Amino acid sequence: MQNVIKEGWLTFKSIFIGMGVTMRHLFSPSVTELYPEEKIELPKGVRAKLYVNIDDCIGCNLCARACPVNCIDIETVMATSDVDLGKTSTGNPKRFWLTRFNIDMAKCMYCDLCVPPCPTDCIYMVPEYEYSEFDRTNLVYHFSNLQPAMVAEVKEKAEKEAEEKRRKKEEEKKKKEEEKKKKEMQAKNELADNSDEKNDSSKPEKGD
Amino acid sequence: MEQVINEIDKRQMVINMGPQHPSTHGVLRLEVVLEGEIVNEVRPNIGYLHRCFEKYAEEVGDYSKVIPYTDRMDYVSAMNQEHGYVVAVERMLEIEVPERVEYIRVIVAELQRIASHLLGIGAFGLDLGAFTPFLYCFIEREKVLDIFEKTTGARLLYNYMAPGGLMRDVHEDFKSDTAEFVKTFRPKIKELNDLLSYNKIFIDRTANVGVLPVKVALNYGASGPVLRGSGMEWDLRKNDPYSIYDRFDFEIPVGKGELGTLGDCWDRYIVRVREMEQSLRIIEQALDGLPEEGDVFEGIPKRVRPKAGEIYTRTETPRGELGYYIISDKSGGPFRVKARAPSFVHLSLLPSISKGAMIADLVAIVGSIDIVLGEVDR
Repeated sequence: MQNVIKEGWLTFKSIFIGMGVTMRHLFSPSVTELYPEEKIELPKGVRAKLYVNIDDCIGCNLCARACPVNCIDIETVMATSDVDLGKTSTGNPKRFWLTRFNIDMAKCMYCDLCVPPCPTDCIYMVPEYEYSEFDRTNLVYHFSNLQPAMVAEVKEKAEKEAEEKRRKKEEEKKKKEEEKKKKEMQAKNELADNSDEKNDSSKPEKGD
Repeated sequence: MEQVINEIDKRQMVINMGPQHPSTHGVLRLEVVLEGEIVNEVRPNIGYLHRCFEKYAEEVGDYSKVIPYTDRMDYVSAMNQEHGYVVAVERMLEIEVPERVEYIRVIVAELQRIASHLLGIGAFGLDLGAFTPFLYCFIEREKVLDIFEKTTGARLLYNYMAPGGLMRDVHEDFKSDTAEFVKTFRPKIKELNDLLSYNKIFIDRTANVGVLPVKVALNYGASGPVLRGSGMEWDLRKNDPYSIYDRFDFEIPVGKGELGTLGDCWDRYIVRVREMEQSLRIIEQALDGLPEEGDVFEGIPKRVRPKAGEIYTRTETPRGELGYYIISDKSGGPFRVKARAPSFVHLSLLPSISKGAMIADLVAIVGSIDIVLGEVDR
């Protein structure tokens, strides 16, 4: 009996202590943010969305290689010798056309590993977080500013140049091979000459 | 008729608790064999959150690409998970870590420990029907997350530590923000004790429930607050110091069976509360010792290529001993990574300590071992 009264008293007491605590909290300022109406300012450097300043990108592919989930997709085309793509704001020369620079934000895990390797600091996180979509494909962000026609043109040009280079190379190769053959022939002839010194009349013929 | 009733009483019933049960802390399915209200047997079914962490670590071929995945193992205490992995890689590389980096790591790890315990305690109270402490715990946890958000840019999955350094330096007001948090948090612990720890209803629900004798705990390989709740003084920060934990003065709180039997749910709970106070002490000392100057990036090696070999490193996370066993084959990525997760061990304890308990107490026991299913399944 005594025990029951004691237990009851302790329960009663602890309820009152608890109520006291909640009472104190009742008069302290609220911590709730009514989100859609109230928006808190995000701190500097928060990781919410990837952004690429495409003017500064040199197409080095380092960010795509650093990504653990392969959400960055880059395709580059070597610029032909007649165009000068200029320099980035950090002074690095641009050598590639960026025909494709897609970031799939549905895949991105916001780890920030792609940011430090960038030599021109052109890929970074921006504090923008309201970009949900009904269609998943809309979360693929296209950063390349080349029009499709331009892309085709650039590719064609690059291919042509590459082919020309290849042809030149092949020609050079052929030339070299011919020279080589000639040299070999000469060497052979000289050897033949050495073994057969008596035959003087054959010398100019073989010298061709 | 009477015979039929007797037959029914003898019959056992199998009930599925979870995977959508609110008090299973994630997606855990417990097959509970009941005899009336008494639990005869518990069979935990896991694997709902399996994400192939270990296989991924083998495949990825880069030591630093594994770090974001360690975050996702125990998403409640991501900093501590990273810390363990980074320490392991650094020991393989045999590199020195700058002083400032070590201090910042300790501060964020202890802040994370507080945040994790706040969630554990709050959710434990919530399981037992105390809704208010959960909200008050989350107010405090929010402050820690705000500090992390300013420093790392993320609120939950930070990817903040890199082998040899940090991903970015702390924000300008880091020191004052943390000092402010430490100052305001101390009275809140007292408040929490008033509201929950010494509440008679709470004590009745937790004392003498789910008793874990220290011998059983050791046999199962328990660690962290679960082992300390059983009265064993074992903390890797003291017993096997890593990082710079040997420089700080703190105590290891253990359960003493104050309000019931040694090793009951209340003991495990109160160990967590007292650990938060000790974490505050460590943070205060670390803030005093934090060097003002220093580059956090200078220690990061250009290429992470450890020598061929293997290493096992264990660190103390809020849940217990987290071990990383890494084999290197001299390439840029690990050949094999095995994570020894404390939650997995503690979940295997569950059948042995919940036998004979009431089904309502099973909720208390699951809450008191404070498991995170992301870490169990990996």
